[in-house]
This record gives sequence, C-alpha cells and structure tokens, in this order.
Amino acid sequence: MRLQAAGLAATGMAGGICLLDGRSVGSGFSSELQPAVGVDPLSGLMLMMIALVAAPAAAYAAVYLTAAANPRALALLTGLFPLALIGVVTARDATLILGSWELMTLVPAAAVLIAGDAHGAGNERRAVFEYLAITHIGGAGVWVAVLVLAEHGALGDPAGLASAGAGVQALVAVAGLIGFGTKAGLVPLHSWLPRVHPLAPSNISAVMSGVMVKVALYGMVRLLTEWLGGPAAWVGYAVLALGAVSALSGIVQALFQRDLKRLLAFSTIENVGIVTLALGASVILADRGEAAWAALALAAALLHALNHAVVKALLFLGAGSLERAGAGRDLDRMGGLLRRMPWTGAAVLTGCLAIAGLPVLGGFASEWATLQALLGLGRQDAVGVALAGGLAAAALALTVGLGAVCFVKVIGLSLLGAPRVPEAARAVETPRAMWAPLAALAAACLALGLAPGLLLPALADLSPGGGGLPRGAGIDVAGTSLPTLGLALFLAVATAALLTLGGRRAAAPAPVWACGQAVEPPLAWTSAAFTKPILLSMWGLLRPEREVEVLSRGGVPDEVRHRGAVPHLIDSALYAPVLRIALAGAGAARRLQSGSLRLYAGYLVGLVVLLLVLARTGVLG
Amino acid sequence: MTGREAATLGVQLAGLALAPLLAGGVQSVKARLQGRVGSGPLQPYRELRRLWGRSAVEPIGAGPVYRAAPAVVGAALALCVLVVPVATVGAGWPAGHDLLVVIGLLALARVAMALSAWDTGGGFGMMGASRDLSFAAVGEALLVAVALVASIPAGTTDLRAMWAASSGPEVWAEPRHWCGALAMGLVVVLETGRQPIDNPDTHLELTMIHEGPLLEYAGRDLAVLQWAAAARHWVVLVLAAGLFLPHPSEIAGGLAALALGVIALVVALGVAETWHAKMRLLRVPPILLAGTALALLGVVSWAAGGGA
Repeated sequence: MRLQAAGLAATGMAGGICLLDGRSVGSGFSSELQPAVGVDPLSGLMLMMIALVAAPAAAYAAVYLTAAANPRALALLTGLFPLALIGVVTARDATLILGSWELMTLVPAAAVLIAGDAHGAGNERRAVFEYLAITHIGGAGVWVAVLVLAEHGALGDPAGLASAGAGVQALVAVAGLIGFGTKAGLVPLHSWLPRVHPLAPSNISAVMSGVMVKVALYGMVRLLTEWLGGPAAWVGYAVLALGAVSALSGIVQALFQRDLKRLLAFSTIENVGIVTLALGASVILADRGEAAWAALALAAALLHALNHAVVKALLFLGAGSLERAGAGRDLDRMGGLLRRMPWTGAAVLTGCLAIAGLPVLGGFASEWATLQALLGLGRQDAVGVALAGGLAAAALALTVGLGAVCFVKVIGLSLLGAPRVPEAARAVETPRAMWAPLAALAAACLALGLAPGLLLPALADLSPGGGGLPRGAGIDVAGTSLPTLGLALFLAVATAALLTLGGRRAAAPAPVWACGQAVEPPLAWTSAAFTKPILLSMWGLLRPEREVEVLSRGGVPDEVRHRGAVPHLIDSALYAPVLRIALAGAGAARRLQSGSLRLYAGYLVGLVVLLLVLARTGVLG
Repeated sequence: MTGREAATLGVQLAGLALAPLLAGGVQSVKARLQGRVGSGPLQPYRELRRLWGRSAVEPIGAGPVYRAAPAVVGAALALCVLVVPVATVGAGWPAGHDLLVVIGLLALARVAMALSAWDTGGGFGMMGASRDLSFAAVGEALLVAVALVASIPAGTTDLRAMWAASSGPEVWAEPRHWCGALAMGLVVVLETGRQPIDNPDTHLELTMIHEGPLLEYAGRDLAVLQWAAAARHWVVLVLAAGLFLPHPSEIAGGLAALALGVIALVVALGVAETWHAKMRLLRVPPILLAGTALALLGVVSWAAGGGA
C-alpha cells in the first residue's frame, strides 16, 4: 500500500510538471485503432488530481482495510482503480479510451460487491445493478461519440469534425454529453451516484467521488475544447443548464440527508454541477469571441474540479474514520466528536469549511473565479446571453449559500455540542496512519486557498483561445483581484489580536439559556430541525412526506409520533415510468420466446421472405 | 500618495470607529419618530465600554469553536470595512477591493456565529442560526444579482472602478440603475438585520434571528459581536450609498456625498422600522427572490438596449 501511494505520488508529480511547463510527452491523439499513450498539460492536471486523491486514500487504506472482511481483494481493487483512471486520461486512441473507460466503471462495482457480501446486506447488489445499468446505457453515448470521432479522424485533429457537417457535430455533442454526463452524475442522469458512492469502502468512495466523476468531466472538457472543433452556442447553453440544474438539485437533496456518506454523494452532484456551469459559460463566451473570458471560465472549472477532488476525498475518508471510531454514519447519532477525535475532527472541520466556499480555503477561490466568469457572461450585450449569465450567477450564489447551510449542519451535528448517543461518547481517535492522510488533504485545501494563482494561469493556458493570466499567489483577473495571501494574513492577525484582547479572564460557567429550562439530550437540534426553514419555503417543490400519529389513552394525548422525509422526486417521477415501460417491453419480448420449434421455424421463414422482398424492391441494393 | 488619497484612507480606517454611530443613529431616529427622547446616537459606545469592563459567562460544555467565534466574526467584519472603499481612490490595500470578497467575508462571519450556536446547543441560538443561514442562502443570490447589475458600467467587480463608473447624473437615465437600487434596498434591510426582516431590539427569544446566538455571550465577547453588528451597518450602507446614490467623481465631493448618502439611509432605516412591522418569516425568501428577479430584469433591460 505504501508503495502504491509512493508510485501514485510520483505519477502525480510528473503530471504536475507537464501542466505547469505546458509540456507534452508521448503520442498525441490519433484516430487510428492502434493503442497509443501520451500526456499533455490537461492529462497532466488529471494525473496530479488522481495522485492527490489516490495516494492519501491508499495510505489510509493500509490501516482502514485491515478491519474489512476481504482485505486482500479490496486492496487489489484499491490499487487497480487509480490505474484504470490513469488509463483513461493518458489514452490517446479510441481502443484504449473505451477499454479503460469500461474498466473504470467495473472496478468500483466489484469493490462494492465484495465489501457488501461480507456483511451480507442485499441492497448492495441492487444498487450495483442499477449503477451498471444506468452507466452502461449512458456509457453507450461515450462509445458512439468516440467511435464517430475516430471515423472522421477528429480525435487528433480539431478540424476533422468541422468538415463532417453540423449533423454529425450535433450527434457527437449529444452522445458525448449523455455519455460523460451519466458518469459525472449530472442531473437527471445521476440516480446511480447517491446509491453506490456511500456503499463502497471509504477509500474507494473517496476516489470515486473525488476523481472518477472528474475523469468523466475530463472527457467533457476534451469534447468541448478540442474534439468538437469549436462547438455551437446551443451546446454551451445546454451544458450551462445541465450544470445549474445539477448544482441546485444536488445541494437541495444533500441538505435533507441524515446519512453522512449519502449527503456527501449528493454534494458531489452539486459540485460537478458547478464545474459544468463554468464549462458551459466557457463555451458560450468562446462562441462570442471573448477568448480571455472563455479561458477564465475554463480555468475556474478546472480549479474547482481540483478543489472538489481534494475536499471530497478528505470528507469521504473522514466519514470512514468517524464510522470506524464507532460513531456510525447517521448524523443525528453523533455529536461532540471534535473533542473525542481532535485530529480527524479538525481535518473534517477544515474540509467542511472549504467545501462551503468560505474564505480563505480552496473552495472560495474557485467559486470566486467561477462567479467572475459568470458575471462576465451576464455583462454581454445580447439579451439571451446576459439573461443566461445572470440566472447562472444567481443559481451559483444560491447553491453556495445552501452549501453553507448543509455543511454547517454536518459540522454541528457530528463535531460540536454534546454527544447525542452513548456510542458517540465512547468514540476514540483513529491511529495516526489513518488521520495523517486526512491532515495532508486538509493542508492541500488550505494551500489551494492561499495560492490559487500559482495554478490558475496554467489552467487558463489550456483554453484553445489562450490564457495569458498573470502568475502570482493571488488571482488577478477581470479588472479585479483576489489577494488571497493578504486576506488570510489580515484575518489571522485580527483574529489572534481579538482573542488576546478578549482576555480569558476566568469565565463564570452557567447553563445554556433556555428560559430557565434544563437542556437535555432529547432537546438537541436534529438535522431535520435545522433545515426546516428551507423545507418550509420549498414545500411545494420538494413535496415532503409527513406522518403525525397521536396516540391517546382515554381521550388524553399520550404520545405524538412524527416521521418526515424528503423523497427523491426525480427517481419516482422520471425513472419509475422508464423502468415500468422497460419491464413491460421485456414482458412482451418474452412472449416471442414460446419454446415451440415450429414457431421458431416460422420466424426463420418470415425473415427469409422479408429479406427476399427487400432485395426484390431494391432496398438492400 | 496624495493628500486626498490619504484622506480617503483615513476615512476608511475611521469607519472601524464610526460604525457604532450608524446603529446608534437609527435608534435615535426611531426614538424621535415614536415620540420618545431616546438615548442619542452615542449610546452604542457607552454600551461597548460597559461590556468591555464586564467578565465573561460561558455556557457549560462549550468548546473552542464557541470561544473563537467572536474573534472570527470581528476580524471578518473589520476586513470588510477595509475592503469597501469610501471614494474613487480607495488606497490600494493588500486585501484588494473586490465586491465578491465582501460577500465571502459576510458569509464567513455568519457561519462562525452559526457554529457557535451548534457548539453551545442552545435552542434559541440554533433557531436564530438556522433562520439566518436559510435567509442568507437566498440573500446571496440577491447580492450576486445586485453585484452583476452594479458592475455593468465598470465591467468589473473592483469597488473602486464601480464607484467611479456610477458617479455623475448619466446613470440615472438607465432603468438598470433603478432596478439595482431597489434590489440593493432589500440587501440593506437583510444584512443590517432590521425590520421588516429582523428586529434588533427584540427581547422575545422566539422571534430572534441575528440576536439568537448572541444570547450565550457576555463581556468582551458580546462587545465584539455588537461592534460587528454595527460594522455590518457601515459596510452595507457605504456600499449602497457608493454604488446607487448620486455622487460626483472627484474625491472631496465624493466624501461629502457619501456622508450625506449614509445619513439619508440611516434616517430611511429608522423610518422604515417605525412604519413597518416585522413580516412573517416564510414571506422573507419569496421577497428576496423577487428582489433577485428585479435585479436580473435590470440586466436584461440593459442588454435589450444594446448595452447602452
């Protein structure tokens, strides 16, 4: 495991050099069906991202998996998974791209099944089946897109598709968006993601949510910036809309989750949405000839993808640690863990603040840059573009605001206050080999927040129109600046000064003010209580389920039971009818298979007659 | 640095000290309108001095997050005061002058307060924190929409450029400016925590929003938090006056116009608070969304005019 982590780190460093130097190694993209491998700056970024997530995850797994039932099999898959991801981002021809793409889909499915069989729960199989079904049906889009691109020789040459006509271009765009979008978890193709990500062992979940969805986004970036050869504006609007819908519905669903890993999975959908939003803005801006703004939007998207990879890996590993420490996954049954597990707790706290987009951590810098790009889009002087930009900017701001509520809830329920159940009060800190990777990821969050400007110009250079942003610790774009170091320094100094001035004179202890009532554990605030104002203001949209049961004895109410849940409406409204139709179709097809030999002979005769008729009329040529 | 630039720098630093005057001003306007004598605009300073001398009371079971929260809130608001320039040439701070940074810092202060409520676990604090964050989520959409509409003439969110571009009488001919000004009015009410959205004078815990988490603090911690609430007045009133009220583009006139604009807004807040009762909690998000739509309407009207 240590060796794995070291190997990944070396790969990541090589990738980082390719990105920052703008260097390409190995072969370029080719449309021949011959395996070819190479790295260019965009692949370098992805290698760096894979290493940043998979190396700490491998180090973590060395201890984490020892308690699993099948540690050897899981360790093998832990090693294989990053290799499949590296395969996708370094593949330079259709065969390798598609081969490693399928491998990337299958490895986590195997991991979920192996981990699930150990504790004998049945719902893993169903979830994995749904995952494979949805990603394979959607994945067909990737096959169509890549094979059509290879046929027109457009994998290596952006001009290839332009000569093929608008129809083929549209086909590739739609197929590619469906294919890559399914794997990235874009709404409405996301249904598998919140089911499978929570079930895998935490070190695999971290890589799935951290980088597997980013590899799908990598495919989308290739498609939009290179393969389509300058996509039309409608592609940009479609991507922008997909991003906005994913971001908002992802965070709204995340808000009402009690299971920590499921909440994190929904938040992945949200962040993929934010990246997609910026990609859409980049396409529209490029189409309008605003090369500098398009480069900023693309750089913001990639920076946010990197930030989210680091943060989400940190939080999934942290969720694994909390679970291992005996606190479980139900947020309403944790509490006070910052005191019981100081290292893990502090790292998770940092991660939650970073993903909530607060200054001066990583999430703030990339969301700031994304917002700048969207405001740039909103200032265009065409009504449609300006409206799209304005709506997208407002949607992003709303998403970030709701994200703050969501992750304040996570911090509050898990880390702060008093333990809510005895198990949480007995939780103990994990061994150092498990919290050290978390601390490293938390440090990466802080570094990405303090010096985003070291990376952003290199990312902007990936844009076809060129970037040319100034390099420095802070960000200096669009006539304004985000001097991250200055902000961080001031905040740190002022906070320290106020803490000293506050002078901890012996503070008199007193109970919390609750109008004189004693505060007892049953009175503690729950996940549902904290998010109630939002639930009430979105009641009509979310259609929550609610049951109130009053048990009365002799006409006197004795006990009131309340149960509430927010259903996943897209599942019931979109997938249920599709599933029904598919099952009905399968039932009809089964009727053809009667088992009677005479009927099969009849089918054959019918087919021959049909072919003869077609040949006769000249349809077959 | 010229003398005038030094003067703007001085005013900006003085904002740290002048902020409580604004909160006191609103209170004394309110008192006059309600037929009382009132305690005068200097009352917040007396309260701060009194609190500074008091010892702290700490809720049982509170941890480091509770203890750090007032310092983080104070630091974030102090930085906000420095980032928002008071005239065209705000001195070039190493902290920049970006409007989106102000939005981020306000969010940081809000989250720190909410986390302190979770740390103590007090029901009233949680109630306030949960409402505050919920409204702020919609409020951020509103703020960003206002930032968009206000950044159109300058083409950037650097507040110094925005200040310069919104000076002079020409901007008042654009429907965009009017839409933005109305939406900014909502931002002012929301961020200062004034009626009809929140009532800073309430003593009824059940209706508290911003005041809820403050219940657990005493002594110097409470003094810092009350100063921060006053600093929030300074930040949004200076923003509103600088971006949406009439002002000339040169420095001395700009500072005078700023003073007049802020005083006008303080009086307006006092009048609104006397005239309007607090509204039902669940009516707040739709009204904030309506404000967002209004700001976006301004953007569309500008784009429809071909960018003129």
